[in-house]
Amino acid sequence: MKSNIQKFIYTLALSIVIFSCQKEDNIISSNSLDGLSKLKEGYAIGASAKVEIWGKKNFFVGYNNLVVVLYDSLNLKEKITDAHIHFMPLMTMSMMGQMPMVHAAPVENPSETPVNDVFPGAVAFIMPSTETGVWQLRVAVHNHKYDKEGTASFNINVDSPTNSSLTVFTTTTDSLKLVLSMVQPTTPKVGMNDIEFTIHQKAGMMDFPADDSYAIEITPEMPSMGHGSPNNVNPTNTGNGHYKGKVNFTMTGEWKINVVVKKNGVAVSQNLYFNVVI
Amino acid sequence: MKKYFLLSLILIFSEFAHAETIDTTKMTCTCVDLEEVNISANLPLNDNKVAGFFRTNQFASMDNINARLEGMSLIKRGAYAMEPQLNGFSGGQINATIDGMKMFGACTDKMDPITSYIEPTNLKTLTISQGTSGCQNGCSLGGTFDMTLQEPDSKGLIPFYSSLGFGYESISRSKNVLFLSGFSHQKWAFGVEGVYRKNENYKTGENVTIPFSQFQKANLHSVLKYKPNSKSTFKADFLLDDARNVGYPALPMDVGVARASLFALEYTHQGKIQTKAKMYVNSILHVMDDSQRDSLYILKTKPVGKSDTVFMRMDMPGKSSTLGAYLQFVIPWNNRNKLMLKVDNYTNRSLAEMTMHMRYAGFAPELPMYMQTWPENLRNVSGIFIQNSTYVSENLRMTVDGRIDYNIDRLQSKYGQEQASIFNYNLSKQQSKLIKSINFSTQYQLVSELSILANIGYSERMPTVGERLGYYLYNAYDGYDYIGNPYLKAENSKFARLSLTYSKSNLQLNISQSFSFVNDYIMGITNSEIPAMNFYAKGIRVYSNVPSAKLYSTDLQLLYSPTKNLTTFLLSKFTYGELSAREPLPLISPLKNTIVVEYHKKTFSAQGECESALAQNRINTAYNETSTPGFTVFNLKSNYSISSQHATLDLSVGITNLFNKIYYEHLDWGRINRPGRSINLFVNYSY
Repeated sequence: MKSNIQKFIYTLALSIVIFSCQKEDNIISSNSLDGLSKLKEGYAIGASAKVEIWGKKNFFVGYNNLVVVLYDSLNLKEKITDAHIHFMPLMTMSMMGQMPMVHAAPVENPSETPVNDVFPGAVAFIMPSTETGVWQLRVAVHNHKYDKEGTASFNINVDSPTNSSLTVFTTTTDSLKLVLSMVQPTTPKVGMNDIEFTIHQKAGMMDFPADDSYAIEITPEMPSMGHGSPNNVNPTNTGNGHYKGKVNFTMTGEWKINVVVKKNGVAVSQNLYFNVVI
Repeated sequence: MKKYFLLSLILIFSEFAHAETIDTTKMTCTCVDLEEVNISANLPLNDNKVAGFFRTNQFASMDNINARLEGMSLIKRGAYAMEPQLNGFSGGQINATIDGMKMFGACTDKMDPITSYIEPTNLKTLTISQGTSGCQNGCSLGGTFDMTLQEPDSKGLIPFYSSLGFGYESISRSKNVLFLSGFSHQKWAFGVEGVYRKNENYKTGENVTIPFSQFQKANLHSVLKYKPNSKSTFKADFLLDDARNVGYPALPMDVGVARASLFALEYTHQGKIQTKAKMYVNSILHVMDDSQRDSLYILKTKPVGKSDTVFMRMDMPGKSSTLGAYLQFVIPWNNRNKLMLKVDNYTNRSLAEMTMHMRYAGFAPELPMYMQTWPENLRNVSGIFIQNSTYVSENLRMTVDGRIDYNIDRLQSKYGQEQASIFNYNLSKQQSKLIKSINFSTQYQLVSELSILANIGYSERMPTVGERLGYYLYNAYDGYDYIGNPYLKAENSKFARLSLTYSKSNLQLNISQSFSFVNDYIMGITNSEIPAMNFYAKGIRVYSNVPSAKLYSTDLQLLYSPTKNLTTFLLSKFTYGELSAREPLPLISPLKNTIVVEYHKKTFSAQGECESALAQNRINTAYNETSTPGFTVFNLKSNYSISSQHATLDLSVGITNLFNKIYYEHLDWGRINRPGRSINLFVNYSY
C-alpha cells in the first residue's frame, strides 16, 4: 500500500517536473511549430538545403519571430540541424527617375545550435510593402553537414498592422536613428503582462546593430477613460538590444502605452506610444 | 393579554408584535424576550384591536419599520432599499438572514441589502441580536438581523381568510396594492401574499422634485405547510421579489432590475428534543442602468448641457446565488440546562461585471471596456454553533455560546487571478480562513420589576467578497474607487453590553449600553500609487485593516400609559464611533429621538409622532462627510376599523412630515432632502 502511494507520488512528481520543463520553453517546444504556419519555402541553392520560414502570421511591420526549418534538399525529409543562418531583409524602393534606394532591417540571426531541430530568429521589418517598395527576405545558409553555402530568396509582402508595434525615431539629443520594437505582449490580456522592447540603431542603410545603452519608461493609459494602471515595471536591458518589464491592463478596450526612451537619464524620444487592443 | 400588549408596544410600536414564551423557565417573558424584537406584520387573524393600532403602517416598507427599531439606522441612497446599520455597524459587519438562511445582495455598491427583497407582508417576526451575540446564524460583529417569513395558521380555526388593501401616498404618488390569503384544510395549510408598489419621483419640503427617486416593485410569497402529526411540520416557501426602474438619486446610476427568488424546505419536530432542518436556494440578479443619466459626468472637461458629443454607457450586472442547509437541535438535557446545537453550510456564488461603452459623436464606437468588479467567486462556509443556557435560579439565567465558521473562497476563473495580478496580488485558486465567536450572557432579575442583562463576547468576521476581491468599486459617498484586498485579516471585536429593564403595569423602561472594541477594522485607505479609473473618481482606496476602532451605543425605550386610552412611547438612539487616532468613524448617526403619543378607543386610534435628530458635527472629512443640521418632523396617523362578524374594513389616514420640513438625515448619501408633506390613505378589507 505504502509503496503504491510512493510510486504514485514519484510518478506525480516526475510528471510535474516534465510538465514544468515543457512549459519553460514552450515557445520552441518539441512541437516548436505549434501555432505557427509556414509562410515561405524555397531552396538555398548551393547549400543543398530546403528552407522553410514559419511564423505566427504573415510578415508585418514590427518584430517578427521567425522560425527557419532546414531540410536536406537531397531527400527532403531529413532535417538539417547543424547550420549557420543569416537573415538578410532587403527593401528596394524604386523612385521615378532616380536610382532605387535599398535598405535592410534589424535582424536577430538564429543560433548555430537549433532548438528542437529548428532555428528561431527574428526580423524587425521597419516599413510595409508598397507598390513602389518591395521587400525581399534572403536567408543565407551555411550547411555544416556538407560545408556548403547558399542563399534562399523570398519575395515577401510585409503587412501594415492597424496598431503598429514598431517605430523609427530620431533621438532628440544626438540625432541618431533608432528602431524601437515592441516584442511583447503579442496577445495582451487583462492583468499583468510581460512587456518587451528591442532597440536597434540605424547605423547605415544596411547596418542595424542592437543597442543596450538606453533605458525605457512606460506609462499605459486608457485615453477614453483617462486612467492608467498601477504597478507597471519599466523594462530593463537584458542584452542584445532587448528590454523586459511588466505592463498591467485593468480592463479590455483600447489602450495606449506611452514610451520614453532615455539615455543617461535624459529623454531622447518625444511623444512615442503604441496602441494596444484587448 | 394586557401584559403582552404592553410588552409588544415597547418592542415595536409601529407594527403588530407578539412575544414568544420560553417554556423551560418560570421567568417571565418580559425579561427573556426584551432582547429580541419580535414583530409581525399584518395578521388579519389576530386581535383586531392590536392589529388595528399598527395597521396604519401596513403599507410601510421595510425601511420604515427598520428606522424605528432599537439601535437601527439606515444608510439612504435613494427612496428605496436603504441599507441597515446597527449601532454603527453595517454591510459585512452585520448578519442579515431570513430565518437563518443566508442571502447576499448582488450589487457591488450595496444598493440591494437583502432587506430590500423582503416586504413587511412577508414577515412574521424580525429578531435583532446586538453586537457579537446572536452568532447562531454566523459570526458577526455588529449584530444579527433575522427575518422569518409569514406562514399560514394551520390550527384550522378559520379555514380561509383573505385580505386586500390599497394605499396611496401623495408626495410620490405612491400606489400600493397588497393582498394576503390563507387556506387550511386538515393537515395542510397554504398561504400567499403579494405586494405591488409604484412610486414616482417625490418632492421635498421646498416642493422640489427629486429626479431618479422613483421605483416600482412586485413581491410574491407563498408557503405550503403540512403537519402529519402534532409534532412534525413540513414547510415549503417560495419568494419572488422583482423591482424595476429603481432610481438612486445619490448615485450616478439607477437599477433596471433587481430580482430575487428564494426557495426553502423546512422540517421541524417538536419533541423532547426540538429539531429543525432547513434547505434553501436563492438567487439575485441586479442590473444597474445608467441610460437615463447624463453621460457627460464622466468627462474631465464637461460641456455645458447635454450636448451628447460623447456617449458613455455602462452595463453592470451582478449575480449572487446561495445554496445552503442547516440542522439544529434544542436539547433540554436536564431541568436547568438547555443545549442548542446547530450545523450549517452554505455556498455563495457571485459575479459582478462592468462593461463600458464609449462613443464620441462622429466616430465609430470604441471597443467595449470589460472588467469583473467582483470576479466570479465561490464562497463556502461551514459552521458549527453550540449554545448552553443554564437556569441557575428563578432569577438568574446564564448562557454561553460559540461558533466556528470555516470559510473557503474559490476563484472560478483565471480571469479573476489575472485581474488581481495588477495589484501584485498572487492569488491561489483557493483561500481558506477559520473564524470564531464566543459569547457569555447573564440575565438577572433583581426584583420583579427590574431585570438586568449583561453580555460579553468576542467575534471575528470574514471580509466580504467585495472587500477581498472588489475591483474598482466606485463609492459615490467619498468619491473614491475601492479595491479589494485578499490579504485582509478577519475583523474582530470584543463586545460588552448592559441592558436594564424596568417594567410595571403601565410603565416599561429599557436602557442599554453597548461597547465594541474592534481590532483590524476594515475600511478603505487611500493609496495614491494606484491611479483612479475615471475622471470623476478622486483616487483609490484599498480595503485595509486599521488597528482599532471603538463604538459605543446607548438606547433608551420608554413606554408609558397614563390612562387606559393613552399610550406614549419614546425611543432614543445614540452611537459614538472613533478610530484609533480619536478620529471620528464616518457615517455615524447623531442622537435621534422618536416620540409617539397614541390615543385609542374601541376601534379608533390616532397617533402623533415626532422624529428628531440632533446635528451631527463629529464628522470625518477625509471620507467626504459634512455636518448635518438637526431636524424635527411630525407625523400623524389615524385608523378606524369597521368589523362585522367575519369581515373587517380598516380605513387609515395619515400625514407624514406635517410641517413640510426641509431636511435630510446624516446617513443620507448626497444630502438629498427627504420627502415633504405627504397625505397617505390606506384601505384594507379582510375576511
